[in-house]
Formats: sequence, structure tokens, C-alpha cells
Amino acid sequence: MNVIEASGLCKRYGKDSTMVEALKNVSFGISQGEFVAIVGSSGSGKSTLLHLLGGLDRPSSGTVRIDGEDLYALKEQERAVFRRRKIGFIFQSYNLIPVLNVEENIQLPLLLDHRQPDKAYINDLIETLGLSERRKHLPSELSGGQQQRVAIGRALAYRPAIVLADEPTGNLDSANGREVLELLKLAVRQYHQTVVVISHDMNVAAEADRVLRLQDGRLISDSRGGNGA
Amino acid sequence: MKSYGALSGRYLKQQRKRSILTVIGIILSVALISAIGTMGQSMKDNMLRQAIYEQGSYHFAYPSGNKKLYDELKNNVLVNRIGVVKEGPQTELQDSFKLTLVEANADLFDLAPLHLQEGRWPQKPDEAVVEQWMLARLPGAPKVGGKAELVGPDGNKRSYTISGVLVNTRSGQQKAESNAYTLMDENALSSGKLMLFVTLKPGVDISSHLEAFAKLGDPFAPNNQVLAYMGESSDDNFNKALAIIFGTLIGLVVLSTAAVIYNIFHISVLERIRQFGLLRTLGATPSQIRGLVFREATTLAAIGIPLGLACGWGALWLVIRLMLSAGFSILQMDDFQLTWHNWIMGGSVLVGLLSVYLAAWLPARKASSVSPVEAVRGAGSIVRESFRRSRLPSPLQAFGVGGKMASKNIRRNRSKYRITTFSIIISVTLFIVFHYFTQESLNLTVDSNEENRIAFSVYKNYSSSDDNGEAARDFIPKEQIERIAALPGVRGVYGNYSSLVGNLWIPANRVNPQFLAVSGLQMETKAKDGADYRIGPAYIRKYDEARLQEAASYLIAGTADPQKLEAQNAVLIVTAVKPQDPKTGKRTLLNMADYKVGDKLLIDWSAMASDPDQASKPIYAEVTVGGILSQSPFGTAYQDGVLTVMAPIPVFDKLVKAVPGETGASLGMEGIDVALEDGADAEAIRQALQALVDSLPNARLVDIAAQQKQERQFNLQMQIFVYGFLTVIGVIGSLNIINTVQTNLLLRRREFGLLQAVGMTMGQLKRMASLEGIWFGVLGSFWGLVFGIGLSYFLFVELSGIQGMPFRFPWGGALIACGAALAVGLLSVQGPMRRMSKLNLIESLREET
Repeated sequence: MNVIEASGLCKRYGKDSTMVEALKNVSFGISQGEFVAIVGSSGSGKSTLLHLLGGLDRPSSGTVRIDGEDLYALKEQERAVFRRRKIGFIFQSYNLIPVLNVEENIQLPLLLDHRQPDKAYINDLIETLGLSERRKHLPSELSGGQQQRVAIGRALAYRPAIVLADEPTGNLDSANGREVLELLKLAVRQYHQTVVVISHDMNVAAEADRVLRLQDGRLISDSRGGNGA
Repeated sequence: MKSYGALSGRYLKQQRKRSILTVIGIILSVALISAIGTMGQSMKDNMLRQAIYEQGSYHFAYPSGNKKLYDELKNNVLVNRIGVVKEGPQTELQDSFKLTLVEANADLFDLAPLHLQEGRWPQKPDEAVVEQWMLARLPGAPKVGGKAELVGPDGNKRSYTISGVLVNTRSGQQKAESNAYTLMDENALSSGKLMLFVTLKPGVDISSHLEAFAKLGDPFAPNNQVLAYMGESSDDNFNKALAIIFGTLIGLVVLSTAAVIYNIFHISVLERIRQFGLLRTLGATPSQIRGLVFREATTLAAIGIPLGLACGWGALWLVIRLMLSAGFSILQMDDFQLTWHNWIMGGSVLVGLLSVYLAAWLPARKASSVSPVEAVRGAGSIVRESFRRSRLPSPLQAFGVGGKMASKNIRRNRSKYRITTFSIIISVTLFIVFHYFTQESLNLTVDSNEENRIAFSVYKNYSSSDDNGEAARDFIPKEQIERIAALPGVRGVYGNYSSLVGNLWIPANRVNPQFLAVSGLQMETKAKDGADYRIGPAYIRKYDEARLQEAASYLIAGTADPQKLEAQNAVLIVTAVKPQDPKTGKRTLLNMADYKVGDKLLIDWSAMASDPDQASKPIYAEVTVGGILSQSPFGTAYQDGVLTVMAPIPVFDKLVKAVPGETGASLGMEGIDVALEDGADAEAIRQALQALVDSLPNARLVDIAAQQKQERQFNLQMQIFVYGFLTVIGVIGSLNIINTVQTNLLLRRREFGLLQAVGMTMGQLKRMASLEGIWFGVLGSFWGLVFGIGLSYFLFVELSGIQGMPFRFPWGGALIACGAALAVGLLSVQGPMRRMSKLNLIESLREET
């Protein structure tokens, strides 16, 4: 069964003459444990697609099902709760909460759900991400690569159904970028996560199980391959 | 971290500077409202106390009641206390002084405006109290505890023990007669005319029962001034006007408090809205975000509100202390009662809390509804900054790059711009409105002129003959007057002269039609040399140089210089009058006639003539208007419907020559008034004057020093209130502007770093920020002026419901407020800019906004 099911996704911005169609009838499915890259040039609709998959935005038409749940049939409040439990986000600009330290940033989605974090799992996660020494550091005291690792940890903290990453290596040098990519792959392997990455970095595409290519808001190819997991 | 809720605490701690600025905003607002509340309430208490001192604490009186009415009142469940007065026979004393025996019950001593100076009230029918000056006139000149023989209620002489003395009043000493109060015998109630002074039980709505009580006896005399300050006036319009006025003022303060807190909170949330967006992407629900904002609000309120109360109280205390040490030194702190009112403090807390939550609610809604997409998209602030193409080129563009950037910045972020301007508008409006209100209400409640500085007078005794020619003239030698004037603590010694009443022929077109409409007076119209004149009475007073000198500070136009006036055969006039509308009883301050400096005054003396032949034809005298005064410097400040003319001695003497049958002999000096400096040692001056009086054949001393000090103290207290009030509003208003402008700047540190990074010099940045500051000042002042004047006018309309007056444009408040707003706007940007210039550029760029 597909963990992500997108069908007939359209997204339009603006009205009449200024209307822009960012996504045009995009449909695909992603199954559990897949590492999928969505690639395309700037303005092809990658980010819009990712936002729709993550329930951050609303499609003009079409549906998104995550774990069988129709994301946009949910109310705003329900969607927020769904998001915190089922979807992990990683952003290009890390987007950590500056006033929380590494550990707290990672635990935040659980805390938002009024749940006590599973200590062993969080410790394992921090260990895996190589942040053991940095546990109590604030984001401002970390390098870019380290910050992005914290963001990955935060995305994985709740063991979500899917992890969505928006240009996760965009702000990093190649060494750090590779490291982040490795960690995402590790998540797929170790925790059997489903990871969707958007990027125009060809290295990312090369590492993915499957590559969806977007152009002018249309899905123009869906190829399996790369190095494989 | 146990829960996500701890996030709000983290924010507050981490963003210490911002939290402090927000707390300061809350402190200032709560301080403002509690200070104004306390000040206003204390002012009202003070006025009520003064009214009770002057009028007594009774609610209404029946000047000619009887036993029946007394019993009726006694049995009325609403009535609390009844003071009873029964006038008895007079005792003739030496030098034609008279003392009237007044029987009163014990309640009366509390309810009537009688003030014990020494001793105690009478407790038996053979005890009495008299005014202090009377002691020396009583047979045997007893002291307190001594005995005096007076005519008793039965008409026979009885011996009375003087149990105490009352504070001297002026009228008694002038008229050479006074009362001795004794405790009423039980039986005395049953017969004769009784004056009854009544209070109703606490909690009774007095105003709604006045009508019923008025029907019980005629005449019925409500204690209007006291009732008015209690909010229980018999005149509903008056109560309503008061309610509207104070409602407006309180509403204005509450509104501005809420607005200030809202502003400061709004800025704080707006700047962090991206972080709230981020939390949304992590699955925080809108209600969780709102919860976070409210948690912050609660923490800030818990810190800010108690501090605000303390600061409000502290600011008041400090202002009053400073004023006391800066010249109002005659007041002892215990005379000045700053009353702590729980309801004001509670109200301030409530308004503070409500404002904080209201202020948090709207930004919280905004924060919770922020689109997560927007949040993750932008790196900087995600407040949508709609840059509107300007309709008009901004004048700031004339100031180089800094000016251009400033004008763009101001237009870029409308909401932040509005918030900053708004807090300046609030401060300017508040100041203008309160300045206007306090000045006008001071004019309304305190009839203040030089008269209330007069503590002693020396008069000629009535028993002496007025007709012994030259001897009557200036019965106190000039060198004696100079000696008194030179005593330490004496402000001035003014000659007392009789005044004359003449008819003024006022050119018909100069008479203010509004005066005729309000007063309902029918002024006779007569023609002379083809022109129409309206005939109205005028008091012609004789002013010596000392009086003219004081008059100078009341000049609206012209001069009060004795030499110049004499050279032009000129006088001073007061055209301002306060006629009473016979229908409504309302007084209105207006000009009776339109005279200008240099105009001729045509006085007709024919009414003074005793010969009917002379009286039938006008006897003209003419003088020039040399100066116009805003009010009479001495005596009643405003007449009902009579012009007051003050002539220097030579001009007066010349004028008098036209008066039929007037030799001038009776118009010589009748005595002197002695005015004291505030805080002067009255006793030393009294002794000097007593010595003077003893050395003169027919003189007596009028001692009203105690009363004068009390009255003067009230005036000074009112002034302290008014200026203290304004100082507090001014200081808090300025701090509010500083806080808003600085918050605005500090939150833009990153942006400034960016501008520096692209090559803007610190000088250019400073120029930009200063121009923004000034521009905020200009716009804030403009709108503050518009609202301030509008609200002042509204208050004027309401105030004139109480007493008519012309609308005086609030120039004073407007100029101070606008000048201060500009200066504060400009100065408040300097501090943050200086700190910023010391900052590392990289650090300011890295700083998370």
C-alpha cells in the first residue's frame, strides 16, 4: 500500500490574468520505505508539491492521502495534529527554534503533542546523528551541518509516516551535504522511513530509489533507479 | 523542558531586551492609569473637603423651620442627623460691636461650617464659643475657660463659660458683629423659628429624594456645592455633565492604556511571527500557538502590573515631593492627602490585565493563523510588507539617501508605522486634553485672585465720625504703611477706598448680544450725538500703586503703569462677567462689552445726585481705557453684569470732581489690606499690625490669617494637583514614545546590519533613523493635535453645561505636547543608534529576528 497517494493535484495562484498554475494535475504514489527525490528546475513546482504533500498549503483541486487519510478532508486543527504525528519536515534553512537547545528542538514535536519523549529512542537518534556532544547547545552555537542534523532529528523524533525534505543540502558544502544525505538514507534503512526530498542537486537524485521530475508544474517522468537503497 | 509551554518562558528570557521593553510598556500604562486615577480621586476628595469646610457637611437646610418640621424630619427613616439653630438676643458691646447668641444642638457643630480653633464645643447650655477676635471685645476680655456675661435666650443677662474659640471670619470683623454659639436647651426646640440642617443616611441616593424633602418646608436650601462634588446635585444636567466629562477622561485613559500595551505587544509578536509559523509546520495547532502567546502575556502582566502600580504611586509621590521642595513649601505633607483607593488600584490592575489580554489576543490570532508555507519560505520577517506606491512624494526624500530610505521604510511596513505613530498620537492627545481640562476646571472651581492672599485688614471704626474733613483722609500715615510693607512675609499693603457706582454709556454696537441673551437684562437705550448707547452700571474703584502693581499680572491688553495711566487720564477695566441665567441658574463667562485700549469710557454720574433736578440730566465724565484685565485682581473676580473700572488715585480724584455733592472727603483711605507671602509668619505681622492699630485713634484689626491660609492652601493644592497631573501625563507620555520608537529600532537591528553591509555608513543610518523619528513626531503631533483639539472641544461643550465660557483654543497644551513629541521622537532614536554603532556588523546580521 502506498503511504503517500497524490491524485490530480492542481495549485493555482492569483486570479484571471495574473493567475499562475504552479501544479497541473499531478498524480503519483509512494510506498513505505522509499527514498524519493523530486527534481526540477527553479519554478517547476517542486516546493509547492512538497507543501501540499505536507499539508502546509491547500491544493486548488485534487487529493493527498497519507497513510490512507485524506489530508485535506481534515479540519485545520486536525491537520495540525496529523502533521505533528505523521509528517516530519526538513528545510533548507534548518528552521530550528533559536531558544531551544539541540535535545529540546528534537523533542519539540512530541512535546507539542503533550507526550513524554521515548528517552532511549531520542538518545539513539542523537547518537546516530552524531550530536551527543552538542545536546545542550543552542542552534546559534552549531555549524550549518550540525543544525541540519538537528532538523533531521526533529523530523524523525515522532517516527512519522513520512519525512519531507526541502532542499536539505542547499545551504551546505558538499561534505556536509553528503553527510546529511547519508543520514536520510540511514533513516530509510534503520527506521524504515519514507523520505521525500526535493532538490535540484543531481547528487541527491543519484542517491534516490526513485526520481520524480517536474517541469512547468507537470510530472514529466517517474524513474526508478539511481544507486538504490 | 517538560512541555512546549515552557517555550514562552524561553522566548522571554532569551529575548530579554524585547521582554523588558514590553514590560516597560505595561508598567507605563498601568502607572499612567493608576496615577491619573489617584490624582483625580484625590483632587475630587480635596475639592469636597474644601466645599465641606466652606459650606458645611449638611445636605440641605430649612432656614425657617419649626418644631413640627423637626419632628417630621426626626421620624423620617432616611434622615441621619439634624443640626438645629435658634437665633437668640443680641448683646451690645463696647464700640458698637454686637454679639448674637445662637443656640445650637450638638449635631450642628459637625454639620455647619464652624471651625474650632482652640478649646471644645459647648456641652452645657451655659457654655459658649465665639470667634477668636471677639474675646478681646467681651466684657472682662476672658480667655478660653473664662466667663463672660451675655444676654441669655430669655433676654436676661447670664454668665457663660467660654469653652472654645472659633476661627475668625472676615465678614464678622468687617461688620463688627458676630455670634456666640451655645448648646441648645431641650425645651428651646419647642418654640420659635428653627434653622434645620439635615443629612441623609449613608447610602441613600440623595439627589432622588431632594424633591420630596423640598416639599416639606419653604424655603429649602440644598447645599449645592457639596452635593455637586458628591455627585448628588439636585440638578440632573449637572450630574450628567460631570458623568460625561469624567467618563470621557477615564475612557480616554483606559483606551490609551489598552492601546499602548496592545502596540508594544503587537510589535513583539509581529516580529516573531515567523517562529510561530515554524511551530505550525511542526504540527502546533492554532490554539497551541495562541496558548503560547497568552502564556507570555500572563508572565509579562504578572511582572509589569505590580511594578506599574508601584511606579504610578511612586511617580506621584515624587512629583509632589519635588513640587513641594520647589516652592510650594508652605504645605505640610499631612495637609496634602494623596488617598489610596482600592478601587483605583483594582481598576488599574483590571484595565492592565484586560489590555494585556486584548493586546495578546489579536496578535495571537494573527500568529496562529500564519501560513506555515510563508513561514518556511522566507528567511527574514514574513510579515507581508505591502509597499504602496506613494501618491505624494514624501518630503523626507529631500534629505539624501538617508531621507529616501526613511521615507521608504515608513511606507514599507504600514502596521509597524501605524503602531509607532499611534503611540505618539495617544501621548499628544492625552496631554492636550488633560491640559485643557485641568486648566478650565481650575478656572471653574478656584476663583483665585489676589484677594486670597489678604490675611489682615485695618479698618476705621464705625463709631468715629466720617465727616471731620481732612482728618478722615488717609487715616494711616504713609510711613506706617511703608513700615508694614517692609515686614518680612508681607507681599503687599493695599489701600482700601470706597468705590462709586456710575452708569456707563456703552455704544450700542459694543454690547455683547450674548450677554443680554444670557443675563436677561434690559439695558436702557439712549441716544447722544446721533449715536445709540446702552446704559449699564459700572463699579468705579480707586487703586493705589500697590494695587495697580498686582493688576499688571491680569492684563490682557494695555498697561497698568500708574504714570502712563495718569498721563493719558486712563483707567483699567474688566469687561469679563459671569451673568447667571435666571431660568437655569447657570453662570456663563463672557465679555459684557467690546472695549479696546484707547477707547473712551463715557460715565454718567447723574444717579449719584441727590437733587432730583440734577438726577434727571446726565452728568458726563470721560476717561480712556488704558488697560484691560482678565478679571478683577481684588474682590469678586467676575461680576454678574457690572463692568469694573479701576482708576489710579489721581484719575479717580479727577473723575470724582464731576460727581454732584461729592467733596471727596468720604473717599479717602478707609483702611488697608495686608497680603502675605505663602508660608509667612502671620503671628509676627499680626503683632505689628496690632501695635499699629493701638497707636491709631479709631482703628481696628481684622484678622483672617487662619482662614486665608486655609483658602490659599486649597488653591495651592489644586495647582499642585493640576501641574502634578500634567507632569505625570507628560513624563509617562514621553516614556511611551521613547519606548515605542526604541522598540521599533531595536527590532530592526538585522535590517540595519544589512544596510551597513551593502555600504551604508553609520552616519547615513543615523540620519535615516533620526528622520524617521522626526517624521513619526510630525505625524503623531498632527493627528494628536486633531484628536486633542476635537476632544477638548467636546469637553468644552460638556463643561459649559456646568458653567458657560468661551472656547479657548488649547494653545498651551498643544505647543508643549507637539514640541515634546518632536524632541522625544528625535532624541529617542539616538540611544539605540549609538549602541548599534558599537555592535559588530556580523553579529547584527546573524541575529535572529
